Amino acid sequence: MARMGMVFDLKRCIGCNACVIGCKQENSLPDGVFFTKTLSEDYGVYPSVKRVYIPTLCNHCEDAPCEKVCPSGATYTRDDGIVMVDGEKCIGCGSCAVACPYDQRSQVSKAMLDRGLFGEGQLTDFEKQGYERFTPGTVIKCDFCSNRVDAGLDPACVVTCPTNARIFGDFDDPDSKPNRVMRERGGGQTPLAEKNTKPKVYYIS
Amino acid sequence: MSSSERVVQNSLKPGKWVRSTCKMCLHSCTNLIHVTDDGVVNKIEGDPSNPSNNGKLCPKGNAAIMRHYDPQRFKQPMRRTNPKKGPGVDPKWEPISWDEAFDICAREIGKSLKEDPRKILPSLEDFQKMHIWTWPLSFGNFNCFQSAGTICGGAYHPANGYIHASFASINDVKYCNYWINDGTGDGFSSHLHAAASSYHMANARVDRGMKVVTVEPRLSISGAKSEEWVPIKPATDRQFALSLSHVLINEGLCDWKFLKQDTNAPYLVGEDGLFVRDNDGEIWVWDAKADKAKLWSDETIGDFALTGEFEVAGKKCKPAFQRFKDILDGCSPEEMEKITTVPPDTVRHIAREFAEAAQIGATIEIDGRTLPLRPAAYNYYRGAQGRKKGMQANHSYKLVNFLVGNIDAPGGHLGVNLDEKTIDWTRCEPGECGMMKGEPHQLGVVPPMSYPPNEYHLLSYFPVGVNPPHLNLSVWKDPEQFGMDYKPDVMVICHSNPLWAMQGPRAGWFDIMRNMRFIVCCDIIPTETTDFADVILPSSDVLETWNMTMIEPPFTEGQCLRQPAVEALYDTKSEEEIFYELSERLELVDSWNNVINMVLGFHQVPELMLEAGKKYSDKEIAERKGKLWNGKDLDWYIEHGHSSTWRQSKKAYRPWEGMRLLFYIEDMVTIREDLKVKMKEKGVPFIDQWPWDDYQPLPTPDLDPIHQEPPEYDLYGFFFKDIQMNFGESLSNPWIKDIVYRDPVHTSILLNSGTMQAKGLESGDIIRLESPHGGPIYGRVAGVETMHPDAVGVSNSLSRIRTENRAVRHAGGHFNDMLPYDLKNTDGVTGQPETACRVKITKVDDWPESLKQGGTVYQMVDEIAKGKGAH
Amino acid sequence: MSNTDAPLVGDSFKLGYRFQNFWDVPMATAFFFGELGAGTFLISMYFDFVAGMIFGLISTGVGKPLFHLTHMGVPAKSWRAMLRPDRSWISRGLISIMVFVPFGILVVLDQTFGWSGGGAVGKLIQLIAVAAALLVMTYQGFAMSHSSSIALWNTGLMPVSSMAYALLGGAAVTLLLGSALNSLVDADLVLLQKLLLALLVVTLAILLSLLHAAYHGTRGGQQSVTLLIKEGFSLPFYTLVLGAGILLPLILLWLGGSALVSIFVAATGVLVGFFSYRVLIFKAGVYEPQISFAARLGLH
Repeated sequence: MARMGMVFDLKRCIGCNACVIGCKQENSLPDGVFFTKTLSEDYGVYPSVKRVYIPTLCNHCEDAPCEKVCPSGATYTRDDGIVMVDGEKCIGCGSCAVACPYDQRSQVSKAMLDRGLFGEGQLTDFEKQGYERFTPGTVIKCDFCSNRVDAGLDPACVVTCPTNARIFGDFDDPDSKPNRVMRERGGGQTPLAEKNTKPKVYYIS
Repeated sequence: MSSSERVVQNSLKPGKWVRSTCKMCLHSCTNLIHVTDDGVVNKIEGDPSNPSNNGKLCPKGNAAIMRHYDPQRFKQPMRRTNPKKGPGVDPKWEPISWDEAFDICAREIGKSLKEDPRKILPSLEDFQKMHIWTWPLSFGNFNCFQSAGTICGGAYHPANGYIHASFASINDVKYCNYWINDGTGDGFSSHLHAAASSYHMANARVDRGMKVVTVEPRLSISGAKSEEWVPIKPATDRQFALSLSHVLINEGLCDWKFLKQDTNAPYLVGEDGLFVRDNDGEIWVWDAKADKAKLWSDETIGDFALTGEFEVAGKKCKPAFQRFKDILDGCSPEEMEKITTVPPDTVRHIAREFAEAAQIGATIEIDGRTLPLRPAAYNYYRGAQGRKKGMQANHSYKLVNFLVGNIDAPGGHLGVNLDEKTIDWTRCEPGECGMMKGEPHQLGVVPPMSYPPNEYHLLSYFPVGVNPPHLNLSVWKDPEQFGMDYKPDVMVICHSNPLWAMQGPRAGWFDIMRNMRFIVCCDIIPTETTDFADVILPSSDVLETWNMTMIEPPFTEGQCLRQPAVEALYDTKSEEEIFYELSERLELVDSWNNVINMVLGFHQVPELMLEAGKKYSDKEIAERKGKLWNGKDLDWYIEHGHSSTWRQSKKAYRPWEGMRLLFYIEDMVTIREDLKVKMKEKGVPFIDQWPWDDYQPLPTPDLDPIHQEPPEYDLYGFFFKDIQMNFGESLSNPWIKDIVYRDPVHTSILLNSGTMQAKGLESGDIIRLESPHGGPIYGRVAGVETMHPDAVGVSNSLSRIRTENRAVRHAGGHFNDMLPYDLKNTDGVTGQPETACRVKITKVDDWPESLKQGGTVYQMVDEIAKGKGAH
Repeated sequence: MSNTDAPLVGDSFKLGYRFQNFWDVPMATAFFFGELGAGTFLISMYFDFVAGMIFGLISTGVGKPLFHLTHMGVPAKSWRAMLRPDRSWISRGLISIMVFVPFGILVVLDQTFGWSGGGAVGKLIQLIAVAAALLVMTYQGFAMSHSSSIALWNTGLMPVSSMAYALLGGAAVTLLLGSALNSLVDADLVLLQKLLLALLVVTLAILLSLLHAAYHGTRGGQQSVTLLIKEGFSLPFYTLVLGAGILLPLILLWLGGSALVSIFVAATGVLVGFFSYRVLIFKAGVYEPQISFAARLGLH
């Protein structure tokens, strides 16, 4: 048992979105589909204005609403706390997508896979080897690169992040990297805590 | 097998990892390329063994696979069958054999070579292969049609050459605690090794608590991550820096010891601007203790006077420092605020914090040397240096660093070399009178001044410059004015897109290219420029070729290997093979080999020298570069990928120990006078139009011409990139597009919301921008709080035109169309043109016709705004 | 106004409100047919009006699945939707439809042919059909209200509004069919008209409460309600949902009495309003910004 999760260091994040493209190449994502996004927020009035970059991905909630509403049993939580979608079981009803308060799910369509990244209906060799994983019509999302986690590696977005703004590890292990950085930086906050989904993602600033 | 058990992550599919080097920008982050057992490249990661990028890649580096598999890549040599050339005109390519392609090129280039080699306009811009860039030197041609030097660092590189004897410069991330970024994204979004810089910068900020202050008209990533954003009116950074220096000097916040011992600030300067010398040419200084003049090298000097007015050898003179102080008398924060709009209180508190953080007097022990520790530094790049008075601008920023004694000090402002070639090379050489020799020509020698000008862009009139290629257009429009006695008729282009990058109206650049007898492009995908080519020579890409490179790594040194991860996908060749084939047919192999030996430094080791009569492959040249660096052969590099280490401290810190740095650049005076004499001798008719005022040994607060444009152009326009578009082409890449056009910063013309309201505009309105030099361009306006009220910001993501590359989204015209390309807006010293322009805004009712067809940025942006579009 | 307001950001990389667009017109149509069918069945059954009951069964048994299949990403595996009744309202709903349709048919057959002879079996079948119909009428509301993601939906009023609209639509269809086919006695028609009037008032009250609750609940709810009553969707909301769907039938039934034309127009109005409500409630559903630092600093 473990509780895999992530800490986002907002002081480090520069909103470069290297994570987004790292994820796209690791996971062969179709055009317009993201398992992670880095958003920006401007606040204040000139000249006292600030911008913060806010990385987002599936929060792998402990009380995952997506899992609760899934009628087919496709969404499930692994022993290590990673919330998964089984593409073989998913029927593409979208219930999970509307139940996720964080808008972190996408539906992959046949048209999307046929059109390809260059929009010409001409798939690259990269896409041909990558799109095999997708069942058209199903809902997909971040799984913390579960294959990589199984192999003892960090998710792709974490390893490529130029500023180490993403800290991944097991929240059950008091000595894990995310737990250590949370202690050092005086704790963090979860996204939309009021939704009571118990995200395993924290923001420190 | 259930999908949960299937291997779906690309990096874990059966295959191998190949060590190589990224080329999504010109720099040299090393990477690991994953190739599946089926031979497909399906993941590229950063190389964790490189202390520079530490396993990290920027978004562009992450997107390299999409360049490799771009279906629009040139797949074989081709020739044009449509005689009509123009933007958006299909060249109607016809595949031909390599032999035929080489024969055509040799015939057409050879014709010009025979008639007059000056007629060839090269645009060879592969920074990772300088030997290709310098191919035209093998027939003595110094023409330059590529944008390097304008949009890059026309004044920046010569200035670094004078101050550090280096190509570039950066603050020392290892020790710096107070980092001013002026008009640059160093450490956050752009310039030197973006992934590496941001990695080290984030650690410094978070782990060490470094404070960052960013001075810029638009809140960029750097501004967003700074403790303090100082919005500044565009093109006034020099005046801001001078006001900082004013405070530092007037409040005594200076490293006097450094100024006296390590710079030429005490050297006495006469009223002619030249140092006061004795008959042997030795320079006088004033010993304040003895109260008399002594020669600079006199060991009895008790105290070098920095201030005062003296008479020595019958000449009225002052120490160089006093000269600067005199200039600064007119540069109080209050006075400069009228230009910069930066409040005096802001200038004062930054100056004080900066000086305090610099810990003047502190030392640190590194590798057995006791060095001054100055953990505060002023860093700058394109946005601050791209000025008409570029040399003065650059110099003004350097002088802020001089005052606190941080030049090449731990924690301070360090020189960065382009490619050091050998592991033990140190860049600094002694000059005259104890001074370090200024090395403004970081990219090679400038040819001797000629009239009629040999170089179409007048390079030889800028004896300090890099290249002023924008002047190609000025000369093309009025060749008589410049006494031009030939007309270029052939272009040789390699990995360069001048039609996109050049400043000045596109229409002018189209006209030049339309009028070429022959254009050959060596490239991998269609661009604005390749649409005008007569022959395409398709090169293999970064995943298919060999190379060895070191390109201005900010904190490290060493060579980085590129090796083929896969066989070439198409019938393409390496650049080396292409240019050797051309050289052979043009009988240039021997002279090119000589050029390569010099440019890559092979001449330093006889057994590495390329031999006459022999052609070399990309692999052979790569191996020689590796051996030259550290004596290791290719097998060693294949195993290790690179020889990158932290920069040796002897090279990083005070490599000029024992020499005096050029606080005062006397060269500005001597070069000016020398050029005047030569122009008079040769009867150059435009001598009176020459911007002689630009040659100043110390920077002045004089306004750049941008501030004197007609008042109806009431705003200051500038363009910008962020880390997703850093350096070369990215916008044909679907992954890059997928992130760029989702950031509203890159989809509208940015205006301060107050300014927008005052103009009666609303966000989303379609507007037209015009400058006194060109335009119009069209776009949607967005009112934001993150812009200076006098500024208009346009992302480079809106700069493309419709071309054969259908993956590229076009927008409402290129900002560069509005930039000046004339002598008046060109730095007379370095050839750096002004890179901002005054603009006026007009609201229009509808898009111009060209934007009503498909394929525009706005079409994609509207889809994104509606929701998920594709999902 | 400064740009500290988090606006609707589409699918851009800006923090702000984002439209849900996973459930769209096909899903709304399926919801509409399902609720309408169950409501019509129940009300027609009360009046022993077989044609209405058949209409209801066709609406729920054919119309609803048809549009569900159109919506579904992997239609061939739709049967899997019933696998998790322990936690998923979608599963529960699917099962309730699978109960409602056959038992409804049995009830119709019983009404027509009287095979149960009014015995306990017939009553039990009726009871099961009614219970299933009630579930069909409300499960979609439960499905929407159950998750906290879309503030507009995250209210106990959602299943109540489903029920109200189902009955309202059911009453309208029953009245229209009954009048048109001339197969209901006048007393029933009068009763139906009064029922319809009452349901219109009740539905309007629920609708207003729903908007009020959402607007004063969370910022996401406020954003959705603003979209419905002030911004992008206000025109169809006022004209179709309120105008055609509530006010027009109210006025017609109040004034026009039992003329077939006014009943026809009123019933059509109700259905248009009901359908539009179903569509707009999906369209106006927004996700809230994940984490706002401006909000944390009290800048919103």
